[in-house]
Amino acid sequence: MFKDTIEWITQQIDSSNEFIKKTLEIDKKLSFIYFINSLVDSEMIQKIIIKPFFELPSDDHFEAYLLSLPQQTNFKTNEDILANLLSGCVLIAIKDKFLLVDLKKSHVDQVQPINIEPTILGSQFSLSEDLQTNINIIRNYYQQPNLTVETSTIGKINKQQYALVYDREKIKKDVLKKLKKRLSEIDKQLIQTPAQLINYINNKGKWTSYFPTTLLTERSDRIIYNLAGGKIVVMMEGSPNAIIAPAVFFDFLVTMEDNYHSFWISTFLRSLRYVGLVICILLPGLYVAVSSYSPEVLRVELALTIAGSRVGVPYPPFIEVLFMLFFMELLVEASIRLPKAMSATATTVGGLILGQAATEAALTSNIMIIIISAVAISTFVIPINEMSFAVRTVRLVLIIFSTIFGLAGLVLATIGLIMYLVNLTSFGEPYLRLYNYRRKENEGTL
Amino acid sequence: MSRFYYYLILINMIANIIASVPVILIQYRKNGVILSMILGIIVGLIIVYLITNFFNSYPGKSLPDLLKATMPKWFNIFFTFVLIGVWFFAGLITLITFTILLIHFLAPEMTHLMGTLLIVFFMAFGCFMKADKVLYTVEIIFVLTLPMLLFIFFKAYTNEQMEWDYVKVAITYINTMPRFLPFMSSVFLFLGVLNLVIFNQFFTTKQSIGWKQITFIGILGTVVLFTTYFIPIGFNGFENIESIMYPWVSTSDSMRIRYGFIERVVFVFLLFYLAISCISLLIHWHVVVELLKSIFNFNKLKIKNVKITPFIVIIAFITITAITVILIDELQIYYFTTYYYLHFAISVPSLLIVMWMIKRRLKNAKKT
Repeated sequence: MFKDTIEWITQQIDSSNEFIKKTLEIDKKLSFIYFINSLVDSEMIQKIIIKPFFELPSDDHFEAYLLSLPQQTNFKTNEDILANLLSGCVLIAIKDKFLLVDLKKSHVDQVQPINIEPTILGSQFSLSEDLQTNINIIRNYYQQPNLTVETSTIGKINKQQYALVYDREKIKKDVLKKLKKRLSEIDKQLIQTPAQLINYINNKGKWTSYFPTTLLTERSDRIIYNLAGGKIVVMMEGSPNAIIAPAVFFDFLVTMEDNYHSFWISTFLRSLRYVGLVICILLPGLYVAVSSYSPEVLRVELALTIAGSRVGVPYPPFIEVLFMLFFMELLVEASIRLPKAMSATATTVGGLILGQAATEAALTSNIMIIIISAVAISTFVIPINEMSFAVRTVRLVLIIFSTIFGLAGLVLATIGLIMYLVNLTSFGEPYLRLYNYRRKENEGTL
Repeated sequence: MSRFYYYLILINMIANIIASVPVILIQYRKNGVILSMILGIIVGLIIVYLITNFFNSYPGKSLPDLLKATMPKWFNIFFTFVLIGVWFFAGLITLITFTILLIHFLAPEMTHLMGTLLIVFFMAFGCFMKADKVLYTVEIIFVLTLPMLLFIFFKAYTNEQMEWDYVKVAITYINTMPRFLPFMSSVFLFLGVLNLVIFNQFFTTKQSIGWKQITFIGILGTVVLFTTYFIPIGFNGFENIESIMYPWVSTSDSMRIRYGFIERVVFVFLLFYLAISCISLLIHWHVVVELLKSIFNFNKLKIKNVKITPFIVIIAFITITAITVILIDELQIYYFTTYYYLHFAISVPSLLIVMWMIKRRLKNAKKT
């Protein structure tokens, strides 16, 4: 059995010359160790395995010592051994017996500074790219015996490890069941990041999913906040982002700083964000509807200002809006993709084109520039990136409706949008509603 | 009671300001409208109490469920079809009245057909949502629009153009005998409660209705009815108002927001009322869809695993609406509305009788 196993493993790993076999022999003591040298920490091998071997009097002592190590992991089949070897374990053969010791070497367990959701007062560090470190961070910040961590792997080829983290006293059982079911139904070869995983655990198809129904965050305080609120966190090896499910519409407009400021300040900031949301969704459509269909709605002075500003612009307002929005989106996209050193150039050039030159060449009106800048700024106010992407595109639909039907079309399309959002669910939870009608009832049953 | 119950009642009340209720009331301003309104409020409150009380004793059950449990099948189908008719026309009237209004005052370049189809397109899909989702939508839109409407009403009450003398003149006609049509149209304000026929599914916990709730609804109804009738008279004059077809549009057009982006209140009024009419339509047609579901099995007809019955229903809605819009004109829709209000004199009592029978049969079933 002993030899068979070794042979089978060598066969499986085969050509790789990273697979190392060492014989430890002195006096009557004999032992073999096997490992893949790029995955393990050789210093640790020396310290934890080799040194004690030569110091301890007999094989029995050595075995007892190994069994007492915290890194020692259990296994059942040969496949287990292979999988563990591939994830950085050392296989020790001693007296016809196999022992596995986990001596993984990781270069990615540094905690990274936050760069997607910065706050002024909140913590400045996000998660690391190492799953164990992340679980460690969460356990440190959320010291509850109810905190449950379930690890498993996903993706047929790369077998990425992920962890479900939740407070088992606080979560809703249905949500967990649904999430687990969807995770188990995923049949994909390669899944690398949580952002990719979200696409597969959303209940919608490729063509019908639009607004995010799970939240992707890198902030540890947001994760803890949501854990305490009874949500489930999915973290993945190799990514500092975590998925939070279920997420409702209002979760996407919360920043962690809302909890750190005093009541009136955070209320002000929150309402600022909602006003921003409304502006960036409605303003372009409103401009099209008002200036091309019903300028009489506005007060006379304002209507005249808009009309005066549009003198010389050779095309109707909707083309103007689409034209400017198109350039703004290009600018945003370019400044994301470009290296930091060059993005300054892009913004300067873009700003010049969009700003002064376009109006002087009478391609757009001055008011249009103001509207587009207002829209652009208010899009960035939305704290979660996924939501601002969704909002950026949904306003195009509203522009189309207000182009064809004017103000009535805009109002109806907005109602349609609200109906669509209300109709969404996130793992069985209604996506958009003002206030939980059955909250008291549910508290009793949980 | 749950706040969603009040939304159902309140939306029906508020949506009627835009419908034909004020015109009907104003037409009878010298022939007993005041007493009719007072009687209407009392009778309306009694209906609200009876119906709420009935549905409260069966939490989570809609009327079709109860009918199935107690009544013979032929009667169920007949009665449900009558209900479908009532609710469908409720939606249709709101829709057409408002579309005509919208096109008159806001979008004259649109044809009636296009305007209606645009609204129906959104609402027909909306009314297939589940009851709780419909109520969440209603709540969000209601909460968004109500502050602006309250602002408009506040502006109306405090406006210097508002002549309270005309209101006093109107009140002096209190000594004329009440008439049937204004009485029925004031009762109609309270009939939002009938939506419980289906929406009772949503209220799964036992609710309570007592003096407090009834008084609250009574005060709301009185305020809304008072506003509906007296504000246009105060703005337009007791005699001259006769010639106005849309008293509330003219009234809101005589107000201005001096420092706002939008100067003329009428546009704010129309746009926010568009939203209110839409949710009123949504509620009514949701009831229609649910009633249809209780008769027909929606899961039966499938093409490639896609249920097609909803689409058939949507197409039916759109076709009926389109044909009606093409055939009917403003005056006809007005007469149609008056007949619609009058028919409640028969349908509400018969509904109450059916409810009474259901209650008795369920009681007997329990005993045996």
